[in-house]
Amino acid sequence: MIATPDLIESLAANAMPVRRLRPPFVRAGFWLLLAVVILVLFGVGHGVRANLMERLQEPTFAIGMAASLLTGVLAAVAAFMVSLPDRSRLWLLLPAPSLVAWLSTIGYGCLTNWVSLGPDGIRAGTALECFATLVLIGMPLSLAMLVMLRHAAPIRPMAVTMAGSLAVAAITATALALFHELDATVMILMWNLGTAILIVGLAGAVGRKAFSWVAPRSVALHV
Amino acid sequence: MPSGARNGRPPLTLVTENSSVHAGGEAELRPAMGSATATDDLDWSILMARAQGGDRDAYRRLLVAIAPYLRSLALRHHRNSSDVEDAVQDILLTLHAIRHTYDPTRPFTPWLATIARRRVVDRLRRQGRSTSREVALDAEHETFAAPDANLQEVAWYKRALRRAVEQLPAGQRQAVTLLKLREMSLKEAATASGQSVPALKISMHRALKNLRRILNSWSGET
Repeated sequence: MIATPDLIESLAANAMPVRRLRPPFVRAGFWLLLAVVILVLFGVGHGVRANLMERLQEPTFAIGMAASLLTGVLAAVAAFMVSLPDRSRLWLLLPAPSLVAWLSTIGYGCLTNWVSLGPDGIRAGTALECFATLVLIGMPLSLAMLVMLRHAAPIRPMAVTMAGSLAVAAITATALALFHELDATVMILMWNLGTAILIVGLAGAVGRKAFSWVAPRSVALHV
Repeated sequence: MPSGARNGRPPLTLVTENSSVHAGGEAELRPAMGSATATDDLDWSILMARAQGGDRDAYRRLLVAIAPYLRSLALRHHRNSSDVEDAVQDILLTLHAIRHTYDPTRPFTPWLATIARRRVVDRLRRQGRSTSREVALDAEHETFAAPDANLQEVAWYKRALRRAVEQLPAGQRQAVTLLKLREMSLKEAATASGQSVPALKISMHRALKNLRRILNSWSGET
């Protein structure tokens, strides 16, 4: 084992100038900007769903979409805040109200028109397309978040992973509502909740490993 | 909705009254035992800001100054002194790796304390996992349950006993040899040695007393 004074000497000898992180709000803004760019590009390529304007007139749909979008924004802010060692973990509660609103609109929709799922409600084609959308939007956002928050790996990996993946999940769910005609309530439930659970669960399972991949914990020292 | 509340542990904010601190104050001269004062915090904050700019001297002074504070934090959870040093080094390495996340407009100690707590807790978890699978062998557990494992000591005792028997007067030595080493009965020993049974008994009794005295005097010497 190296003696602590020797370690201090070698760390000091390795003290290259570092660029400070920008304030967390600004960095969350950058990430959300990336999300907007991806959504716009996807919208240009794929086109929004045909009946979007019509559906936006319905309060449940509009509120649900606004709530999922807001959840994405607030969860991103929370993730960037919590990733810093000197910010309170209470920031994790920031997306909670909108998350509750989002989930409750899904639940409300289910209660009101539960029966609307016809015999051919779920078609394989739609499901596959939805999955492609999910991957195309979710993956770049997840990777960007992972790289931007790699400094959190030795501090709060789980909390940051959860908040970050909630942000990705909420934005992806918003995109699904924008681009796909998912009017069967079971599908909405499946895609919204399923996406969220899938992404958060995946993050929980591989979060630590992914972090250790982008941010090795041990520091290379030229002793 | 949460405000910008910080986890204020150890609780302190920025500097209090009349802190005459020049940039890069003499933080390392003050022992920081368990808690950091507001002046410490400002010193450390300034040193860290300069270290982020690549000032190696400021960085060294900062690390030297916070080491006792980190040690006292680690001491709350670790007993073993090498564990404490390991924890301190772990914290220093983490601090080095993510030193760009420190914002000099904010207090330094909460930032440091979160890193320290995280590393200490991680270390405790790792130890918990490994100790649940391992059995520590302490120095005092030299004697094993299987008698064969203690042969060295048995051999030593045998040699010592033989030497002690040789130092006994002839009559007593004979009694020990016949009765104990050759395991004869009193009658057989009486026949073999030509002594009476009571005389053998007395010799044996005296021999045991002498042996005890001799062996005690040896173990007293070592």
